[in-house]
Amino acid sequence: MSRRGLLWMMMALLLSQVAVGPLDAHGPTRQKVTEKVEINAPAEKVWAVIGSFQDMNWHPAVASTEGNGGNTKGATRVLTLRPTGRIIEVLNNYDPGKSLSYEITAVDVKVLPVSNYTSTLSVEASGGKSVVEWKAAFYRGFLNNDPPPELSDEAAVRAIKGVFRSGLDALKAKVEAGG
Amino acid sequence: MTTVRGVRAGRLGVGSGLALVTIWATAMAMAQTAPLPVAPKLAEAGEALITNQTGDSLSVVRLSDFKVVAELAIDGKPAGIALSPDRRTAYVTSPEGKVVTIIDAISRKATGRFPAGKGPLGIAVNPVGGRVYVADWYQHKIMAHEPVTGRLVGEKSVGQSPSGLAVTPDGKHVLSADRDSNQVTILDADTLDLIGTVAVGERPFGVTVSADGRRAYTANVGSNDVSVIEVPAWSLIGTVPVGRRPYAVAIAQGRAFVSDQYAATVTVFDVATLAVVKIIPVGDYPEGMAADAAGRNIYVACWSANTLERIDAATLEVTGKVAVGDGPRAFGDFIR
Repeated sequence: MSRRGLLWMMMALLLSQVAVGPLDAHGPTRQKVTEKVEINAPAEKVWAVIGSFQDMNWHPAVASTEGNGGNTKGATRVLTLRPTGRIIEVLNNYDPGKSLSYEITAVDVKVLPVSNYTSTLSVEASGGKSVVEWKAAFYRGFLNNDPPPELSDEAAVRAIKGVFRSGLDALKAKVEAGG
Repeated sequence: MTTVRGVRAGRLGVGSGLALVTIWATAMAMAQTAPLPVAPKLAEAGEALITNQTGDSLSVVRLSDFKVVAELAIDGKPAGIALSPDRRTAYVTSPEGKVVTIIDAISRKATGRFPAGKGPLGIAVNPVGGRVYVADWYQHKIMAHEPVTGRLVGEKSVGQSPSGLAVTPDGKHVLSADRDSNQVTILDADTLDLIGTVAVGERPFGVTVSADGRRAYTANVGSNDVSVIEVPAWSLIGTVPVGRRPYAVAIAQGRAFVSDQYAATVTVFDVATLAVVKIIPVGDYPEGMAADAAGRNIYVACWSANTLERIDAATLEVTGKVAVGDGPRAFGDFIR
């Protein structure tokens, strides 16, 4: 999904209220998405940009990050999105210089049509370059059989792929620009 | 750790109603007119049959050298699995396809399939007589099917979103983990009459009955613990905290092994004292678990890592990993 598509998706929601549905029911098929990008810069330089759980502002859809607990397990953050929408997340695992794993504890399906979402963002050195991998596991946003198209498995996968692709491409541009 | 693609069964088109009817009718006809011919012996026992939900396939892993020896295509997002009493026939649920596929484990071929409600996930086979029970996640009921033909012989409403199923070794009772009712329902395996319910932890997913038939264990995804149930008193006798989002339980050598999805660990506890003895790191999103017949090893399918991992039940060390298909779940009884 293009950045415009992502913004459009987020604009489609007007609910600023965050629905809480952590352990809600879900369909029987969990989805997975993995996206990668190769960046022409050492892994340390990439980690310097993505390595703080309290700062996800490198992603073009994130307007601001506020949170508590730094990079310790159990730390939380609230992502405020452009132009609107909020995602609340908790840090599950932190491996300095390498990876961070987190889950969404609250998001409206109109912001992101997923439930029971967990994710790992990692960077690995590859010669003088680095490869960033972003993986997620989640169920679709609709919790029962026969979902409406906007809350289907395909819609969930498409949305997450869009978020990942736009984020990784922006990350590559930012790091390679030598910021 | 390369995936060897061996026997690949023809893809059964769930989308094609005609194909489905034809296949089913063929299976029915075979069952009604003649016993199944004895297949040439291609596969020995000592295998793990791993449902790969994302990848729409079944990986066959030979346990002796821990290698993938075949991969069969099964569409409809296969997840649950159970084996016939003689361990020669596997029944695999496809929740998206809304069918159960019957697989001859000897020839490694899909031999038929039958429709099963709106969201078949958990599945179990009665070790006495071979009747097949399927949990319908969306319609909140348990369906009983005849072996081989898959003919529906009965159904019974249970709690919300039944997930894991287990049958007691004497073949008398079916247990259903009713995920969204925080309970286990016990049914008479023959009549499907309600025997009772037991309140357990939050969101029970997998349910396992011990080989001696005296205990049942549920992995509670919501409360991050395991409920221990005494059978046949059907009373809750203990709760064991485990890692985050536990999925399934396997028993061997007096210990319970629990797959903790979010923690990417297997928590091991002593079934007598209920004390945790070890937490073993495994691949991401460990899910289906089972012990081999001798109780020597525990096998766990890691959904995100795309691996099957082997844990020595005595030393509690991971002794092997093998790459399987995409998104392995192996939810149920998968070792033959």
